[in-house]
Formats: sequence, structure tokens, C-alpha cells
Amino acid sequence: MRLTVKQLAKAYGYLWALRQLDLELAPGEFVALLGPNGAGKTTFLKLLAGLTAPSSGTIELDGASVAGARGQIGLLAPADHLYDQLTVRENLRFFTALHGKAHGDNELAAALDAVGLSARAGEYAGNLSAGMKCRLSIAKWRLLDPGLLLLDEPYGVLDGSGVDLLEEFLRQHCAKGHIVIMASHHVSRAVNLCSRAVVLHQGRLSFNEPKQSPWPSFDRAFGDFLPRGGL
Amino acid sequence: MNLLRQAYLLLCKDLLLELRRRDSLLTMFFFGTLLLFVFHFAFDLPPDKIGELAPALLWLAFLFTGTLGLAQLFQAERDNHCLDALLLSPLDRGALFLAKTGFNFILMFLVELVVIPLFWILFNLPAWNLIPQLFLVTLLGTLGFCVLGTITAAITLRARGRELLLPLVLFPLMIPVILATIRCMETVLKTGGVADAMGWLRMLIGFDVIFITIGVLIFDSVIES
Repeated sequence: MRLTVKQLAKAYGYLWALRQLDLELAPGEFVALLGPNGAGKTTFLKLLAGLTAPSSGTIELDGASVAGARGQIGLLAPADHLYDQLTVRENLRFFTALHGKAHGDNELAAALDAVGLSARAGEYAGNLSAGMKCRLSIAKWRLLDPGLLLLDEPYGVLDGSGVDLLEEFLRQHCAKGHIVIMASHHVSRAVNLCSRAVVLHQGRLSFNEPKQSPWPSFDRAFGDFLPRGGL
Repeated sequence: MNLLRQAYLLLCKDLLLELRRRDSLLTMFFFGTLLLFVFHFAFDLPPDKIGELAPALLWLAFLFTGTLGLAQLFQAERDNHCLDALLLSPLDRGALFLAKTGFNFILMFLVELVVIPLFWILFNLPAWNLIPQLFLVTLLGTLGFCVLGTITAAITLRARGRELLLPLVLFPLMIPVILATIRCMETVLKTGGVADAMGWLRMLIGFDVIFITIGVLIFDSVIES
């Protein structure tokens, strides 16, 4: 899957959340989407997911519009997008069926086992902690296997083993030729995983480069947003 | 997956959630019953006038009760941003409309199953044999209410003060359905059959068919706006 974003802009009333954003991603790219609070990261993810309409500009996935590529786009929101009153297994069954990718009990059990939730398959999702819900979301997107996977701050709710699990899943996902875009404030982790870093600042794309080592241009571009450490 | 299969999947999910929470159905049931008792004690109607006023009173109860249900219609989707999860999927938005309309219709039907006989008992209406025909008319009116209500609930979904906005938008749009249903019920009570109310009945059926079609076609724009 190839992603092409041209002159993308989004305004909320008189406030421009994103302006003139151009981006071209090849299959298998892992993008670390970085920037300070209010830079427009979440707005950009919502636009890519088709959850909000752009004020201007276009987004194309393999030449198709976002609406035409529904089902090929996944959004892993750490503790969201699950029905609290459905069990863990029912949530998986419902969402996979909704995407037209119904799986058998064995596949569902294997997906839950892979994220360490097999013992809680019969519990309501509402009883799970935020980290457990994030694991369930990982299991969901592992089964749905979207061509473009978007992640919004996934690290905040996960414990150590959960982070390992997520990163392994994302590596495998990119290896299949799928695109992953992860918005995060955990810069070192995101940069370690990514093949490209994109920095947004005040709604504009201020940095967009494939990963290098060393990476002085990234250090300069991102240095302004790092904490100073003073009291 | 076709439209009806998707709608069935969503409807099963909504019914399962309602079975576990029971908040919408219980609230609607108790509110509907409470309204009947209020009407019973508020209106001291002579026996010859009850038949004329019964349809209007009954529908007043259904309107308020149904509006309570509509206010809760998308609650499960508001929690945890589940609506976004649905919109991310290749789901036909028309299926979501059909499922929500069907779900609300089932809830109202269950409430009406209790409220209509209770109304007959409280107001001492004689014509028990007319209840099946009145039920048929009521169900057509209820379907119209649910169809328009689902569209309106989706329009006001992201609005501030949506509980207030919902009836303000819905009730004026509901006038043709309410008028047709009440006139139909009056005719059935007066004449003992639906034969003389065919004009109103056709209008009700036409309204239902037209708005179901419109709902399926426009729900994409309504839910994503």
C-alpha cells in the first residue's frame, strides 16, 4: 500500500489545525509522527482514518480515496473503540465480522493468547485495565491486518511486556509491506522503531526524512521540543 | 457483507448490550407507565369522551417515552468512541441506520405491549376486540417515529445539549405521523374497523417507506458530518 497526501489542510472554525501538508509513503514504511502538544498529530491521524473531513487537499491509498479504502485503515486507540458490555471474545468476534473477516474460535483464541488475554476471554472489556484494553486492540488489529495502521500514543498505558508485544507486532506488520504511522511523545522509542520521522509544528510539516544514523538534522529539528529539565 | 447482514450483526450487538444493561427498556417502561397513571388521575373524562381522547393521550405517552429511548440510542457508540470504530470499518452506513431503527422499534414495541392494555384497563375502555387493529396502526406509527427519530438522533449526536435539541427537532417533523396515527386510531375506535381509515393508513405506510429509503441513502452524510 502506498499513501499519498497532497496539500492537506484542516481548519476548526478560524483555527488551522493543519496546513499544506504533503507526504508520500512507500509500502512497509514506519513513520514516527512527532511534535509538541497541539501540533496537529491527532487531527492528522483522524484525517487519515477518514473520521474527519479535510478542509482542503487529498489523501489517497493506492490511488483510492479514504472512503474507498475503508477496511484497509486501522486506528489503534489504546483504551478506546471497544464495547465495555461485550466480553473480550465478543468484541473480537464483532469487529472482525464487521470488517468482513470473521474468524473461527481457534483463530480468536490464538489472537488472544498472543497478547496474553486468553484467561480473560470471557470477561467484559469494561473490567479490563487500560493496558489490557490496549492488548485487546492489538489482537483486534492483528486479526484485521489493515494496510495502513495508525496509532495514537500507544505507550502510555502499556507495561514493559505490553510494549515489547506492541513493537513486535508493528515490526511484523511493516514487514508485510503495510504502512504504520505512530504519533507518540516517547521520542526515543518511536525513533528506534521508525524508518522515517515526521515532525509537525503548529499544523505544518517541519521535518520529514528517512531515518539515518547519526541523524543531526533530526536532532536540530526536534531539539526545540525537548524538555529543558529546569525547575 | 450485504446491507441486511451488517444491519443484523449491529442489531444483535445492540440487543445483547441492552439485555445486559437494561437501562433504556426499564426507563422507557417505567416512564410510559407513570405517564398513564398521571393521565388517569389528571383527566376526569366522561365515558363518551374517552374514545375520542384515548389515541391522543396514548400517543403523547409514546412520544415522550420514545424520546427517552432515542436519547440513549447512540450511548453505546458514544462510550469509548465506539462510533469511530464503526466508521473505520467498511460498514454500509445504511446498515447502521436500519439497525438503530430496528433496535428502537423493538424497545418501543415491548413498551407498547404493556402500555396499551394498561391504558385500556385504567380508562375502562370497552372495545378490547379492537386492540389488534389498534396495535397494527400503532406499529406503523411507531415505525415512522423510530425512522425519523434515528435520523434526528444521529443529527444531534455531537451537538451540545442534544437531549434538549432532539425533541425540538423531532416533534415538528413527527406531525404527519402523529396526525395520521391518531386519526386512524380514532376511526378504528368509532367504526370498529380500519376500512374507513384507509387514506390515513396509506399515508402512514407511504411515510414509513419513504423515510426508511431516505434514511438508508442519507445516513452516510448524517453520521459522518
